[in-house]
Amino acid sequence: MKHKAFLWGMLLLFAAELAVVLVFAKPWMGGGPRSENDLQAGSTAGSESGSQAGSTAENRSRQDTVAVNEAVQSVQRDWDNLKQHRNETELDYTVVDLEEKVRFRTRAGLSESRNEAILHRDTILDLVTEGRPVGKIIIYNNSNEIIKMEMQKLFGVLLAVMILQAGLCGGCFFYINRVMVKPFRKLERFAQRVAEGNLDLPLEMDRQNLFGAFTEGFDLMRAELKRARIAEAEANAGKKELVAKLSHDIKTPVASIKAAAEVGEALAESGKMRENYLRIVQKADQIDGLVSNLFTVALEELSQLSVNPGDFKSGELEALLQNADYFQKAKIPPIPDCLLYGDLFRLQQVFDNLFANSYKYAGTKIRLSVCMEETCLSVSLEDSGGGVPPEELPFLKEKFRRGSNREGVEGAGLGLFISDYFMKEMKGALSVENGKEGLRVTVRILLSGGI
Amino acid sequence: MRKSILLAKANLRRAKGQAAAIIGLMLFASLMLNLWLMLATDYKQNFVRCHEKLNGEHVTLVLNREPKEAAAGLSGFLEQDSRMSDYSLEDALNMVGSFAFHDGEVNSELVFLEKEKAFSRRIGQIELVEEVEKDAAKGIYLPILYKSEDIALGKEIEITIGNGKRTYQVCGFFNSVMAGSHNCGLCAVVLTKDCYQELAEAGDVPKATLVSVRLTRAEDSEPFETELNTEASARFPDARMNSNSYALVSQSRYISQMVCSGIISAAAFFVLLVALAVIASNIMNYIQENMKNLGALKALGYTSRQLVGSLLLQFLGLTLLAALAGIGMSYCLFPKVNRMMVSQTGIPYEVHFLFWPLLCTLLISLGAVGLAVWLASRKIRRIEAITALRQGMGTHNFKKNHLPLDKTRTPLLWALALKNTCSNLKQNLTISITMLMISLVVVFSGVMIENIIMDMTPFVEMIVGETADSCINIRAEAEEDFLRAMEQEERVEKVYLYHSLKLRHPGGAELMATFCGDFSKVNNQSLCVEGRFPKYDNEVAIAAKYAKEKGLMVGDEMTLAAEGKEARYLISGYTQTSNNLGKDCLLTREGYERLGKPDQYSYYLNLRPEVGIDTFNEEIGKEFAGKANAVLNIRAIVEGSAFVYVSLMKMIVAAVLCLSLIIIALVLYLLVRILLAHKKQEYGILKALGFTTGQLVLQTAAGFLPAVAASSAVGIFVCAWVINPLTSLFLRGIGIVKCTFTVPAGFLAAAGAGMTAVSFLLVCLLSLRIRKIAPCRLLMGEG
Amino acid sequence: MKKSLLKTKQLSKSFSNGGTLQHVLKNIDLELYEGDFTVIMGASGAGKSTLLYALSGMDTPSLGTITFGDRVISDLNSDGLAVFRREHCGFVFQQIYLIDGMSVMDNVMAAGLLVSKDRKGIRNRAKELFEAVGLGPETWRKFPTQISGGEAQRAGIVRALINNPRILFADEPTGALNSKTGLEVLNTLTKFNEQGQSVVMVTHDMRSARRGSRILYLKDGVILGECRLGPYVSKDAARHDKLSAFLAEMGW
Repeated sequence: MKHKAFLWGMLLLFAAELAVVLVFAKPWMGGGPRSENDLQAGSTAGSESGSQAGSTAENRSRQDTVAVNEAVQSVQRDWDNLKQHRNETELDYTVVDLEEKVRFRTRAGLSESRNEAILHRDTILDLVTEGRPVGKIIIYNNSNEIIKMEMQKLFGVLLAVMILQAGLCGGCFFYINRVMVKPFRKLERFAQRVAEGNLDLPLEMDRQNLFGAFTEGFDLMRAELKRARIAEAEANAGKKELVAKLSHDIKTPVASIKAAAEVGEALAESGKMRENYLRIVQKADQIDGLVSNLFTVALEELSQLSVNPGDFKSGELEALLQNADYFQKAKIPPIPDCLLYGDLFRLQQVFDNLFANSYKYAGTKIRLSVCMEETCLSVSLEDSGGGVPPEELPFLKEKFRRGSNREGVEGAGLGLFISDYFMKEMKGALSVENGKEGLRVTVRILLSGGI
Repeated sequence: MRKSILLAKANLRRAKGQAAAIIGLMLFASLMLNLWLMLATDYKQNFVRCHEKLNGEHVTLVLNREPKEAAAGLSGFLEQDSRMSDYSLEDALNMVGSFAFHDGEVNSELVFLEKEKAFSRRIGQIELVEEVEKDAAKGIYLPILYKSEDIALGKEIEITIGNGKRTYQVCGFFNSVMAGSHNCGLCAVVLTKDCYQELAEAGDVPKATLVSVRLTRAEDSEPFETELNTEASARFPDARMNSNSYALVSQSRYISQMVCSGIISAAAFFVLLVALAVIASNIMNYIQENMKNLGALKALGYTSRQLVGSLLLQFLGLTLLAALAGIGMSYCLFPKVNRMMVSQTGIPYEVHFLFWPLLCTLLISLGAVGLAVWLASRKIRRIEAITALRQGMGTHNFKKNHLPLDKTRTPLLWALALKNTCSNLKQNLTISITMLMISLVVVFSGVMIENIIMDMTPFVEMIVGETADSCINIRAEAEEDFLRAMEQEERVEKVYLYHSLKLRHPGGAELMATFCGDFSKVNNQSLCVEGRFPKYDNEVAIAAKYAKEKGLMVGDEMTLAAEGKEARYLISGYTQTSNNLGKDCLLTREGYERLGKPDQYSYYLNLRPEVGIDTFNEEIGKEFAGKANAVLNIRAIVEGSAFVYVSLMKMIVAAVLCLSLIIIALVLYLLVRILLAHKKQEYGILKALGFTTGQLVLQTAAGFLPAVAASSAVGIFVCAWVINPLTSLFLRGIGIVKCTFTVPAGFLAAAGAGMTAVSFLLVCLLSLRIRKIAPCRLLMGEG
Repeated sequence: MKKSLLKTKQLSKSFSNGGTLQHVLKNIDLELYEGDFTVIMGASGAGKSTLLYALSGMDTPSLGTITFGDRVISDLNSDGLAVFRREHCGFVFQQIYLIDGMSVMDNVMAAGLLVSKDRKGIRNRAKELFEAVGLGPETWRKFPTQISGGEAQRAGIVRALINNPRILFADEPTGALNSKTGLEVLNTLTKFNEQGQSVVMVTHDMRSARRGSRILYLKDGVILGECRLGPYVSKDAARHDKLSAFLAEMGW
C-alpha cells in the first residue's frame, strides 16, 4: 500500500511538473501567428499589449485594438477640449496636433514626435474630426516591458520545474533504496541466519514490495526446512505408537492358540505333556478372559411400551394439560419455568388418562396445582368426587384393579397402572391419595439434570 | 466454462443483497443510457424523416408582395441557381401576431394560408393531424405544437394580428416541418376560406407571397437563404420580408431535446460510474474475504483465468439481465418522455423499437462492467495457493496509531469512529466519489431551482438575451413625441432603444442586429460575455458562437451590410444569446446609422413594479394609435415560451434528486454491508466488552461521517465553482458560451448539511443490523 | 461464610439446532462467592462455555434466573446486559480477541473509557496493570498482531481488569497458548485472585484446574459435583490428590 501511495505521489509530482510546463508553453504553442489585418489606420507590426483585462492567452501577442479604438474615439470626442480629456484605457499615449505639438499625454517619458515613435515602434494613428485630420495619436509600445515580464515568468517556471525535478530524482533515489537495496540487505542477513541453522526467525517482508514474491520464496524455503525437521521427529514418535498398537492386536489370535492347545491336551500321551498343554490353555484363558471382558455386551430386555424421555421446557406442559382437559374442567395454573425430563408423548397419555378418570368417576371441577419441589415438578389433580375408600388406595395402581365405584362405568383398570409405569420409566412418580373433597393424583416429573 | 458457471452460481447465492443492489444500479444506468441514445439518435432522424415525408422546403421566404410581382422579381434568380431543385410561390398574408399559450404569450411572424391551398401544397406539405368533424364558420388550424388545454378542438382562440384582435374557432391542428413553431422564425396558420377572405379584405394585414424552395442538398440552405434575402431586398428594397432555413429550423426545434438528452446522458454515465465503483469495491472485498477459498480452489486446480472468468460471468450475467430490464423499462418510460418532447418539438413521433441504441447500451454497460471486474479481480492472479491456505494473505500491520486513546481528548465513540475512518481508505474513496458526483447533481438542481423554477430571470436572460416589461414599436416620425411622453410618464422606470433587424455579414450568414441607444441601460448586463458592449459607432459586439464559427476575435474587424451599404466595424466583445441560434450582433445606434436609417424603432420599457403591463400597453397603444406598430408584453411572451423549460426542469430536478437519494442509499447499503461483514468479529468483541448496540451504530455512522462531510463540502464547493462553465458546455450548441447563473450559497450549504445528515441517518438505519450480532454466538461459534 | 456474588436458579439454556431443540444447560442452581477462584471443568460439549456466558450476562438464559447482588440480570435486555458487563464483568477469551485495528493500549483504553470519563485515572490504572502482568511500554504501543500470544493474553487480562470488575470470567485462557506462556497467564490470574479478585474460569485442562479454590464439574449440562480445595498453594501434594480423586470420581 505504502509504495503504491508513493508511486502515486511521484506521478502527481510529475504531473505537476508537466502542468507547469504546459501552462507556460501554451501561449506559444496555441496562440499561433494571426493575420495582421483589421485596424483602421496602419499600425506597426509586432507590438504587444498584454495587460488588458479581458485578454486571453491567445491574443496576448495582439495589440488590444478595442482599447486603441477607445483611445482614438475618446480623444476625437474631446478634441476641442483636450484639457478635460481623461484616459479611459490602460494604454499610454501622446496626442500631437498636425504641427507635432503635444496636446495631451498620459505620462512623461513617452514618444512625443513621429520620429521618436517610429524609433520606438509605437503605433501612430490619425485623429479625424468633422471629416478632416486634426492630429495624431501615438500609442506607447510597451512590448519591452512585457518581454521582461515574460522572461521573469520563464525564469520562475524554470526554477519551479527544476525544484520539482530535483524532488522527482530524490524520490526515485529514495524509492530505489527502499525497494531494492534495503530488501537485499535484509535478505543477506536472513541467508546468514539460515546458514547458521537458525530456522525460527521468519523473513519479514512487505508483501507489496517489488521483491515480495521473490523473498517470500526464501521464507517458504525456510518454513519448509523447519517443517521437515519437525516431521522427522514426529515420524519417530509414530513408530513407537505403532508398535504398541500391534502388540494389542496380537491378543486376538490367542484364542486359536488356546483351541489348538486343548486339542493337544486331549491327544497328549504323557502327563508332562498334558500339564504343559493345560498351562497353555490356562494362560490363553487368562488372556481370553481379558479380551472377552472387552467384548461382552449386556443386552437389556426391551419393553414393548418404550418410553423415550428427554429434556423439555416446562412451558410445553401447559399445552399438554390443555389437550388432556378437553371438557375444560380445570384452570391451568402458571407453571414455573424449568427444564424437565420426560417423554412428552407418554406424559400426554398419562394426563389424558388422569383427566378421563376424573371425568368418569367424579365429573366435577378439577383443581390443578403445579409446584416446584427439590428435584421435580409436581402436578396435582384433585376433583370433588369424594375420593375412594382409604383401604382401596394402595391397590389403585395395580393391574386390572378398579375402585368400588366402578358400577356403570366401563374400563379395564389398566390406566393408572400404565401411567405409573410410564412415570417410573421417566424417573418420575405418580401418587394417589384422598384430598379434602376428592381423589388427588400427583404426577412428579423429574427436573432434568437432577438424578 | 461449466466450472466457471458453477462458481458464479455459488458466489451469487452468497451475496443476494449485493447482487440486487448492483442489478438496481445497472438497471438505472441502462435505462438512462438507452433513453439517451434513443433521444439523441432517433429524434433528429425523425425530423429528417418528417421533412422528407412532407417533401419539405429548405428555404422559406415570406415577402410582402403579391405572387405575380414576386415571381417577376425572383423567378429568374431561383431558376438560374443550380442548387435549387424545386420551388413554389403561394398567396399568403403575413403579419406579426400573438396569442395566449400556457401562462404566457406566443409572439411570432404569422403566415396565414388558405385552407384548400395549404393542404394541397406540393412543397412543404402541411399534414393535417386533427380536425373537428364539422367545419366551423370562423375556423383556424394551428401547428400541433400549440395543442394545449386552452387551445383545443372547438375552443375559441383570440389572436392579436398587428393591432387588431380576432377570434377564431380552432378547427384542427397540423404538422408543418418548416413553419410549425415560433422557434422557426415563421409560423404558419391556416384559415378556412371565408376567414381568409375576411382577413385579406380587412386590409391591415398585408398580402404576401410565401416562397418555398427545395434544394438538392440540405447543407446549402444557409448560404442560399442569405443570397435569396439579398436578392429579394435588392429587388424590393422597401418590402417586409422574413425567412428561415433548414439549418436554423432543424436546430431550433431540437434545443430542449438536446438539453434533455444531455442531462440524461450525464446522469446515465454518473449512475454507471457509481455502479462500477460499487462492483469494483464489491469484488475487492470478495477477494479479501474469500482469500482462503480462492486459495483452496487454486489448489484444486482452478486457474486464475477460470476464477476471474467466474466473476466476469457472474457480473456480466447480472448486468445483461439488468440492462435488458432497464432497456425494457426505458421503452415503458419513453412514451411519457416523448409526449414531453413532442410538446416542444411540435413534430409527432411514433415510439418504435430501435436496434442500435439497444446494442450500444448493451455494449457500453457490458464493456464497462467487464473492464471494471477485470481490473478489480487482477488480485486473484497474485494469490498463491499455498500462501492463501496457510494464512489467508496476511496483512502485515505496519500501521500508525492515528489516535492513541490514552492521549486524545476526543470522546471515546468519536475516537473509535475516527480510527475506523483512518483505517478504511477504500471505503472513504468510494464514498468520496459518490458524494462528489451527488454534490454535482445537488448543485445542478440547486442552481436550476434558483434560476429557473424560483426566478426565471437569469435563465431567460441567458437564453433570450434581453428582457424588459414592455416593447413598443414606434414609427420613426413619432419617435420624439414618444420619448417625450415616456419621460413624463410616471409609470415608466426606464425606456431605452432596443431595436432588432437583419443585417448581412458578407461572406457569412444573415445576422440579427440589435442596436441600442445606451447599453448601460440594458437590463441584462451580462449579455456581453467577453470584452464590452459597443461604445462607438465603429464597434460591434457579436455572438460568441458565430464568432467562433467564423474565426473572429475581439479586436478583429468585420464588415456588415444593409440596404446596399457596407461598413466595417471593430469587434469590441462577444455576446451570447440563443436568439436566432447565435447569429446575432449588437451595434450602437450611431453605428447602425452608418448603414441606414430604419423607419421604425422598438423601445423597451421597464415599468414600476405595481403597474399592470397589459393596461399600460393598452393605453399607450391607444395614445399612439397609428404611430405605434406593435405594443408587446414581453414578460408574457417570455413566460409563454419558457413554460416548457420550467416544466421540463421541474421534472428533471425531481427525478435527479430522487435518483441521487436512491444512489446514496444503495452505495451506503453496500458499504455498510461490507463493513459489517468485515468487522463482525470486532463488533462481537466490543459488545462483549459492554458496548451497546446504540453505541456501535453511532460509532459506525460516525466513521462514515468525515468522508461524507468532507467530500460533500469539497464537492459542493467545487461544483458550485464549475457549474456555470459546465452548464455552458452543455448549452454551447445553442450559442451559450458563458453561463451566469446565480449560485444559491445558502441553499447549497443547507443541501450539503442535509446530505451529510441524510447519509448519517441512513448509515445508522442500515447498521441496525449490528443488533443481530450476538457476542456469545460469535465467540462460541469459533471457540 | 463467604459473601454471595452471583446466584442462579434453575438456569437452563437451549439452542435450536437444525430444528430440534438442544438443551445445553439443565436446571442449574449455582452460587458464586466473592474471592473464589471458581473453575468450571468438564469434557468438551458439556456446556462449560455456555454456562460461563450465561453467568456473565453475555447471553440470556432460556429459563431460570440469575441474580447479581439483588439485581436480576436474566431479565435485562441486550443493552442492559451490555451495561452490566461493562461495569461488573471482565472477560478473558481463549482466542484473546484483542481488536487488531487498535494498539494494545487502545484496546485497554477503549474498554476503560466506556465506563469512566476519567482518562488519566484509566491510563494510570492501565499502566499499573500492565506492570503487574509484566508488559512494558514498548508492548503497549504495538498492535496485537505484532506481539506474541502470551503477551496478548496478558494484555487481554489487563483489558478485563481495567474497570475493576466484580468477577473476571476466563474462557480457557490458556487454550491457544503453549505451556510456558500458558503458565505465565495462569500465574497472573492466580496473583490477581490472591489480591481478592473473584475469578470464574472454564477449562478442560487439569493443570489450569489446579489453580481453582472451588472446582465444579459439568457434564451434559448438569453440575455433577463440586470440590472445595481452598486457596492455591503451589506443589501441594494433598491438594493435588484431592483434586485427582474428585476428577476420577466424576469420570474424568
